[in-house]
Amino acid sequence: MKGRFLSLLVPPAAWLVIFLVIPTAVLAADAFSADGLRALTDPLTWHLFARSFRIALVSTALCLAVSYPVAYFIAGCGPRWRALLLFLVVLPFWTNLLVRTYALKFCLDPLGWSNCESAVVFALVQSFLPFMILPLYSSIEKLPKRLLEASQDLGASPARTFWSVTVPLTLPGIAAGCILVFIPILGIFALPEFISERTPMVGSQINLYFMKGSNRGAGSALTLILMVLTMTLTGLYSRYKKSEGLV
Amino acid sequence: MRKLLGAFTALVLATLYAPIAVMTVFSFNDSKYSIRWTGFTLDWYRKLAADTVLHDELWNTLRLAAATTVLATVLGTIAALAARNAFRGKALYATLVALPVMVPDIVLAISMRSFFRWLDVPLSLLTAIIAHTTFNLSYVAIVVSARLQGLDRSIELAGQDLGASPVRAFWKVTLPAILPGVASGAVLAFTLSFDDFVITYFTVRPGSGTLPMRIYSMVRFGVTPEMTALSTVILLASLALIVTALKISRVPVAGGGR
Repeated sequence: MKGRFLSLLVPPAAWLVIFLVIPTAVLAADAFSADGLRALTDPLTWHLFARSFRIALVSTALCLAVSYPVAYFIAGCGPRWRALLLFLVVLPFWTNLLVRTYALKFCLDPLGWSNCESAVVFALVQSFLPFMILPLYSSIEKLPKRLLEASQDLGASPARTFWSVTVPLTLPGIAAGCILVFIPILGIFALPEFISERTPMVGSQINLYFMKGSNRGAGSALTLILMVLTMTLTGLYSRYKKSEGLV
Repeated sequence: MRKLLGAFTALVLATLYAPIAVMTVFSFNDSKYSIRWTGFTLDWYRKLAADTVLHDELWNTLRLAAATTVLATVLGTIAALAARNAFRGKALYATLVALPVMVPDIVLAISMRSFFRWLDVPLSLLTAIIAHTTFNLSYVAIVVSARLQGLDRSIELAGQDLGASPVRAFWKVTLPAILPGVASGAVLAFTLSFDDFVITYFTVRPGSGTLPMRIYSMVRFGVTPEMTALSTVILLASLALIVTALKISRVPVAGGGR
């Protein structure tokens, strides 16, 4: 029994050590080179991280604002409409992100809305909507109807019920959606360049360091910072999940 | 209120689908400057069909996705099965399995690139397959784990009590029970690999490009009719793929359809 278990554990564990742990160590070694350490004091580095943070934050907030009403509506539909609407929300996720971004660019360019941060944010919100709508939907769907009725019976206005009952109870879905949207946007590459070349984010600079400028140390430093930031965020998120008893 | 929410949902869905629809229509437009409709043509599609470099790129994309799907499905399923047991260091193991899903693509891509350079392994389609397998293994493991959680372990033990060897119990009981999860994992891995740009871009030899890489290099020249036609083909191919997969394996696309 023990032997069989070991034979199960070894292949994936070995793969992950060789192709995930060691590469991360190599990345860290490159990041702590002279070039890498110099990148830490380069104002450009922090300027780019500030922009990426701002774009990711604004996009996540807008994504949440747009997705909540949609998820709320879908959760209130009958089973057939629910299935259809969820299918329509998820379908674009199964198609190529660059192709979808190109389609968007195709429509935005003639309107004169490109080469600016707001167009990038719009494209990001549009692309990441499914990742926000799905977790929101599954937590709104689980809402106990009795609590909402109780709140109204006790005289709370619909708005008050929404803010003091619905939102707090769907906080796990809100947190999951935000983490699923914020993290990929923070490290996004290619999509922003399609829409605007004037607003580079961290991902585009990493590309420049590796593919054009051949400054491997600086590129590795930026990548490592990105990794530490996103792992801190997911770490905080899983602590929150544990405190809510969700794991 | 409900009507208002419905109208808003319709509007959001329209923003998701309108650009795709507009692009598809204009890929048949006769004008080189695709903004105004001047007449129907299949010229751009003829040009694509005659582009032999594009054929090589399609072949590369398919080989990459197929090899990744096989490797990631096998390793991911095994990883999910192993995680059912309690053992020392399980938390670390679970973190490792989930890591590729948690960090942005570019982090994984750059570490892989650095790793191959450190080993002096030249980049090729094979290095891209290894990188793709690493991130897709996690997705498969997550999907299969979800399926395993719903599986009653006593059925497997019953199989063994009735004299089946552990191996036979696995093939006859466990595998059939988790097969829908394994199939969803495989479809997910194929799609993610087929569509991936970031990881391929940093881990493949520049000569052996894939379709998403072609899109990236073409967009630098702005909006062109060839690009519009190619995007339409890729989009429709993905949609056909997922709809077929749905029909064959009844993969739950969204978790809500139960």
